[in-house]
Amino acid sequence: MSAPLLRQSAEHQFALEIAELKKQDSHNKPQNWLLSPHAVLTYLMGGKLANGFEVSPKYIGNKRLMEIAIATLTTDRALLLYGLPGTAKSWVSEHLAAAISGDSNLIVQGTAGTSEESVRYGWNYALLLSKGPVPEAIVETPVMRAMKAGKVVRIEELTRMGSDVQDTLITILSEKMLPVPELNTQIQAVRGFNIIATANNRDKGVNELSSALKRRFNTVILPVPDTLEEEAEIVRQRVSSFSKSIDLPVEKPILEEIYKVVTLFRELRSGVSADGKTKLKSPSGTLSTAEAISVMNSGLSLAYHFGDGQIKAEDIASGVIGAVIKDPVQDKIVFQEYMETVLKQRSGWKDIYRACRDII
Amino acid sequence: MQVHLFGVRHHGPGSSRHVLDALRATRPDIILIEGPPEGESMLSWAQHPDMKAPVALLAYVADNPRQAVFYPFTHFSPEWNAIQYGLSEKLPVRFIDMPLTHKLARTAAEQQGPVASAQAGPEVAVRRNPIAWLADLAGFDDAEEWWEHQFELAKQPIEVFEAIALAMGGLREAFPGSDEEERIREAFMRKALRLAQTEKYERIAVICGAWHVPALTDLSDRKGDEALIRSLPKTKVECTWIPWTHERLSSESGYGAGVDSPGWYQHVWDHPEDDGTLWLSLSAHVFRKHRIDISSAHIIEALRLSHALAALRGLSRASLKEYNEATRTVMCMGDEILMQVIRKELIVGHRFGELPEGTPQVPLQRDFEKLCKSLRLKVSPEAKALTLDLRDNHDLQKSMLLHRLGVIEVAWGHIMHARSKGTFKEEWLIRWQPEMTIALLEKAAWGNSVEAAANRYLAHQAASCKTLAEISSLIQQALPAELPEGMQAAMQKMDVLSASTFDTQLLMDAFLPLVQISRYGNVRNTDTATVRLVLESVLYRMLSNLPGSCANIDEEQAAELAEKIRKVHQGITLLETESYRADWLQALQRITDMKQAAAHIHGTCCKIRYDLKELSEEVTADEFSKALSVSQDPHYSAHWLEGFLKDGATLLLFDDVIWGMVHGWINSLPEEVFLQIIPLLRRTFAPYTQGEKRKIAARVHQVPVSKEKTQQAGAFNPERAEKVLPILEKLMFHPIKQP
Repeated sequence: MSAPLLRQSAEHQFALEIAELKKQDSHNKPQNWLLSPHAVLTYLMGGKLANGFEVSPKYIGNKRLMEIAIATLTTDRALLLYGLPGTAKSWVSEHLAAAISGDSNLIVQGTAGTSEESVRYGWNYALLLSKGPVPEAIVETPVMRAMKAGKVVRIEELTRMGSDVQDTLITILSEKMLPVPELNTQIQAVRGFNIIATANNRDKGVNELSSALKRRFNTVILPVPDTLEEEAEIVRQRVSSFSKSIDLPVEKPILEEIYKVVTLFRELRSGVSADGKTKLKSPSGTLSTAEAISVMNSGLSLAYHFGDGQIKAEDIASGVIGAVIKDPVQDKIVFQEYMETVLKQRSGWKDIYRACRDII
Repeated sequence: MQVHLFGVRHHGPGSSRHVLDALRATRPDIILIEGPPEGESMLSWAQHPDMKAPVALLAYVADNPRQAVFYPFTHFSPEWNAIQYGLSEKLPVRFIDMPLTHKLARTAAEQQGPVASAQAGPEVAVRRNPIAWLADLAGFDDAEEWWEHQFELAKQPIEVFEAIALAMGGLREAFPGSDEEERIREAFMRKALRLAQTEKYERIAVICGAWHVPALTDLSDRKGDEALIRSLPKTKVECTWIPWTHERLSSESGYGAGVDSPGWYQHVWDHPEDDGTLWLSLSAHVFRKHRIDISSAHIIEALRLSHALAALRGLSRASLKEYNEATRTVMCMGDEILMQVIRKELIVGHRFGELPEGTPQVPLQRDFEKLCKSLRLKVSPEAKALTLDLRDNHDLQKSMLLHRLGVIEVAWGHIMHARSKGTFKEEWLIRWQPEMTIALLEKAAWGNSVEAAANRYLAHQAASCKTLAEISSLIQQALPAELPEGMQAAMQKMDVLSASTFDTQLLMDAFLPLVQISRYGNVRNTDTATVRLVLESVLYRMLSNLPGSCANIDEEQAAELAEKIRKVHQGITLLETESYRADWLQALQRITDMKQAAAHIHGTCCKIRYDLKELSEEVTADEFSKALSVSQDPHYSAHWLEGFLKDGATLLLFDDVIWGMVHGWINSLPEEVFLQIIPLLRRTFAPYTQGEKRKIAARVHQVPVSKEKTQQAGAFNPERAEKVLPILEKLMFHPIKQP
């Protein structure tokens, strides 16, 4: 029995769903895909299978976007998920990889320090020195392993990588092979191989993709959730899965609190109150759905560990303020204005107003 | 005897194709189309080789063209294709909808009566767009998409129409109850059907909106129909063809909801076999035209993606939605903004129709087109900039036409600010909108040519003016249109109105455009005699009133009036007529002689007279010291100074007398008074340019310096100076007087 994991990867967490989908799958499967594109779509968007099995939705939002993403992967084109921080880019890429390859762990994290060796291949220098350039001396990267196994590799934050490193992907994407000049050979990608990259709107211009690379990606922009209901549903779902994974008993239906946090975030993000009457300033942070989720999660653990298990305004307030006030001077003014003009007047929001006042 | 009912979606290319197939299969001997019977006489034009769709059948109430209905047709409209088929097969083609004679009379009555409360609820929505309802039931969020997939692909045209009839029957059962107009319309359609039957036509084809199909199957209730259509109000209706545009097609018009993507439909119509290759290549082409780099590889990838998407969605072929999504994802980096280009250029498209020469038109319209042709102006919905040099006769004619159209409220051209300063240049932006045809028709009653209509309309408008301000702005607008008769009427009206005006300022306002008019005569060869006459009467009325209105007014009014006096003065200078000038100066003198004239105005008048050397330096100096004397209220002084010195920096700089007086007065002010009137002084000096201010400051600075110099003058040595004199004398051949 292995030790309990802090977070299971998607293919383990939803192993049952994937297995069911596989059983029921009657559509054509591209080679080396675990599921057919249809089943992948059902896995992402949720739905009821023919035998009554309920698949939970992973992505709540525009179905068409997911269709484009999946269709892209069937055409051997690489997929670039683009959007504001916290719009479920990594989440979608993880689930896509899990549903298509059954493995979401082939991942390269893009940072300013990501080197070419972590994209293509590295060398085991001890072996290299003793035996010279031999195949065993090569240290494989997730990209190389994915090519060999015909799986999907994920590249997180593609635009954080230096442009020179980004461009090493060009050959891989267009020729579907990775040359190893030292051995005078190359790794040919097996069918089923593909890349899902994510990139951040806010990083636009840091390491802009070269046009050669851009051309090799199909881009899907993931928007912030359209409606309050949609966003609240996302938060609710993620929060309840969190409480399951760290065994927090959720006593009360917390939907109301979720609505409050989501409303608050949406109002500040869009710069106008929900009723459309009051103009608001927007703080410097993005206030994404992901942040709303983490505010709720921390509120839950606060309530569980330090309170009576019921989530209260105070438990959320600190999280909210932490998420909103990223710049101690500017954002504080913004939030105070918001508290006094919107929160204070709203009936039923007194508790959260007071809790915020106490902290600020 | 057979009756084939073809329920269509207006402007559906799929419907079109099916209608054509069905017509060929059933070979009817008469075709009945949902359309206004009044338009039947115009149908023969549809086959004219110069007739280019999109065009619209325009029907309007003869004595009120504003009340009009358009029936747009384009290449892919089922009605258009049925008409073409009927005409080419030499079959009778009839329009069987409710005659507009009644329909427009009804809408007129409704507009006068109380407005019916807006209906709401699903029934109305269903009736407005029944297909959207079915699409929704089928799980499509877009009616056009559903229609395309359901009916584009069906290969059995006749069965398709049976299916449509069944579907609509179901819908109409689920949402019974219809408004009165709909019942009347369908009664008329049934009546036409019965008529065709009694005329012994064997195979009757009816092309109508899908929604009406179930209502036309049962023709038994003849009496009920007769009752419905009896004693309807009537009005006289005229019909004509007008060119239409794709852009217009995409908005709502006579045939109910417009189509969202006429350009795409056109493409589908022209290239039914296209699997997206052509469409995406066109998209790439449009992008390249807008300098967005798109390679062939992009097209290939977009095509593959769109097909993969269609497969994923279980569609047998990709349609606009898939292509759009593929284009956005592959070519636009997921960005929606660039898609706007495709939407504008391709999905909607720029196509516009043309009419053959000689299409029945009202005389005014014909005259307008003749003028356009002779002036080589193209009536096009595309915006176009036009620079006219009025010294050139051809350009002058163009300008006149545009101005005349402006007078009759057909805003084809908008005048822009010409870059050059001269009055001989005009810059226009012209853009023809289909509703301008209505505006033109509306004025048809005013005359048979643009000139005549504009003249009469101008006279009519002038007659309805109530204030001097209205008429003077009307005249200013109409002046470049060169409408002597209309202008004559306008001038007379102006004369009448100015006679009843006691407000000097209004007279002054009216005077200024008149000055322009009489000057314009030079560029445009206008007969300015009438203008002079009115100008004179306005001028003298103004002059007699002016001195009186300069007294007992507050500071703001005074400033305003002073400004106008300055402008009128400029105008009079421009007129270059000695008698006007003399009388004007006399009026100014009366103002300066008045003790109670407002300070600002008094100052202004003094300045004008001083400039013209009417006021000698001494008198001016007297006026100055009077106005600035210690006993005078400093506020009065400051206002007076503002009047005198506004825009007078050069005067202050180069006229030593005035400089000395102003300088001395300011120096003499006690500090607290100075602080009090500083805002007033600022008002005078603030508009001076930076350079002028700097020079004035320098001059203020100079004064003490020059004083020092004169003081030092006593210190020089006369003996040594005298020694130079003989040489100077020699140099100048002139004896120098010794001091």
